[in-house]
Amino acid sequence: MSAEPRFAAGDWYAVAGERVTVLLPGSQRDRVAHLWDLTDSGADVDAVLDALLAGGLSSLDHFALVAHGDDATRLIVRGAPTATVSSSAGDDLVSATPGTTWAERLVTGVTSLRVTLTGDGEADRVLTPGLARVSVVEFGAPTASGTPAPAAAAAVMEPEPVATEPEPVTPEPEPEPEPEPEAVEPEPVAHPEPVVVPEPAAAAPLHFGEPDDDPTPTGETPVVRDEWYDRDGQTQVGSPAPDFDRPPIPGQEIAPEVVSQPVASLIFSTGDVVAVDRTVLVGRAPEARRFASHDQPHVVTVASPQQEISSTHLEIRPGAGADHGSAIATDLGSTNGTVLAQPGLEPEELTPGIAVSLIPGAVLDLGDGVTIQVTNA
Amino acid sequence: MKNVDLHHGAATDVGLVRKVNEDSYLVAPPIFVVADGMGGHSGGDVASQMVVEEFQRLSEVYDPARGAEHVAGAFARAQARIVDFGNAHRALQPGWHAGTTAVVAALVDDNGVAKWLLANLGDSRIYRVTEGRLEQISVDHSVVQELIDAGQITEQEAAVHPERHVITRALGSPEGIQPDFFLLPLGSVERLLLCSDGVTGMIEDKEIEDILETIADPRDAADGLVRAAVAAGGRDNATAVVVDVVGLVKDATYDSQRQLQSLESKLGGRL
Repeated sequence: MSAEPRFAAGDWYAVAGERVTVLLPGSQRDRVAHLWDLTDSGADVDAVLDALLAGGLSSLDHFALVAHGDDATRLIVRGAPTATVSSSAGDDLVSATPGTTWAERLVTGVTSLRVTLTGDGEADRVLTPGLARVSVVEFGAPTASGTPAPAAAAAVMEPEPVATEPEPVTPEPEPEPEPEPEAVEPEPVAHPEPVVVPEPAAAAPLHFGEPDDDPTPTGETPVVRDEWYDRDGQTQVGSPAPDFDRPPIPGQEIAPEVVSQPVASLIFSTGDVVAVDRTVLVGRAPEARRFASHDQPHVVTVASPQQEISSTHLEIRPGAGADHGSAIATDLGSTNGTVLAQPGLEPEELTPGIAVSLIPGAVLDLGDGVTIQVTNA
Repeated sequence: MKNVDLHHGAATDVGLVRKVNEDSYLVAPPIFVVADGMGGHSGGDVASQMVVEEFQRLSEVYDPARGAEHVAGAFARAQARIVDFGNAHRALQPGWHAGTTAVVAALVDDNGVAKWLLANLGDSRIYRVTEGRLEQISVDHSVVQELIDAGQITEQEAAVHPERHVITRALGSPEGIQPDFFLLPLGSVERLLLCSDGVTGMIEDKEIEDILETIADPRDAADGLVRAAVAAGGRDNATAVVVDVVGLVKDATYDSQRQLQSLESKLGGRL
């Protein structure tokens, strides 16, 4: 990631610090000045994220955040922005699934990163620390679509002296008085184009093996006829259906994979204390299935001499959507059930497969004397 | 995590139709891999071999306490090599691609407890046998699997579906890799099977279950599976790796630390 960041001009604000860059729609200019104060004073990503979210999520439909750490790059996109990350592990297209809070990645060995806010402009201007009005921002090695023109730093605004002037927002180079209205704020309803979602470039699946017009057939791939299907010779790679990647529990919103701050802490009667910053699976011999390398669940094994507890009994994870910020519990179809006592409410038995939001002080009883107390993180 | 005694066996066969065996496998306890290459001679066989080499290399420095990270790293290195290999070839033959599936089983140390970490990319499969029942753990990354999941076709329809050869994830894919991981307690797996679709495409799960149930020695069981696949037509390369956890303590509540403490107290602190 040595090359300088670059951008294409647009309506979004780029608050570019040395390590943390926040991208906000034009309508968010209120937040921009404060964020610039923070990033310019070298605040770390958590402090910036705190400040960004301080006004609540409801008024912040779209943003993107890129933070370069010592050995990893952290990326968060909410709403419309999409990002293409190339790293030693391959390319990844990151966009928030509609209905989720955001999409987040922590990627090591990033070689290039392109965040698309609006349009598909060529990022040919150098983004220096400060503020800029942008539509596309690129970090690291240039992607195929854009080579930087190093001289064109023109549109980058000088980072104004810090606290004294909370007005570095006014866009100098394009002094349109209020550049917002039109394309600026994708009216919440009007992003049914969950923007630029993959359409994975090739509509035609990749054909492995010799292409049809291969001028030098090796003769090694047998031509197999009639009812015999040569599976390898025919195996192709197609594109995954978008909703196939992380099958949710039916009827529930897809959980955020890993959240930056635990939403709750679980105190087990066995003495274990587990933070809910990702999915937590509890049982006599819990099995975790189909996770990605970056969102490995916490697996908590509890002894159950009477076998009252099922092998994978209960799931607790950070809530999404309306449950954002709290932990939610789902009985995974256990044999003997789970009883939940929320403060001030009658104890209830969890319905298998139905998530229930947990309030601090809640106690989950799995049987065999195993209870879990929910506390603030 | 110590002294998990594993017995294992592996077998592979080019089959009756194909001339090249593009499958590769690795038996390097506690790491086991089966990879099914795609791309013809000097393509698929090289790609699947690259995966095996990366995991072989991993096995020499493998730290079970960092198992998931190590396995993900080996996937990433294999992916980078295969993509480079493909790019180099494409310079000579436009449109040429090499890729491979991979299924991996590795013992990991989860806070002192040994567990199976399983990983899958593509349509090779991981099964376990527990209490005499065969269960598929991995979920194929294939178009027909997606259609089955969506309720649009049945498994019977999948077997004859025109797109049954189309997989949605593979090493070598320019779009990057996204392996699925699975974490299973050691005690939930009596016998583990990793195999290529040359086995599962030729014989039914019932027959696989019978072979794994009746043949006790894992080497003979792996042989038996591959031989049955060849006997059923051998339309594709067939590879099977069978792993048994020997001396498995079936009581899931077993806790070596507690046992030691209990022993100490019974012996009056003389340990």
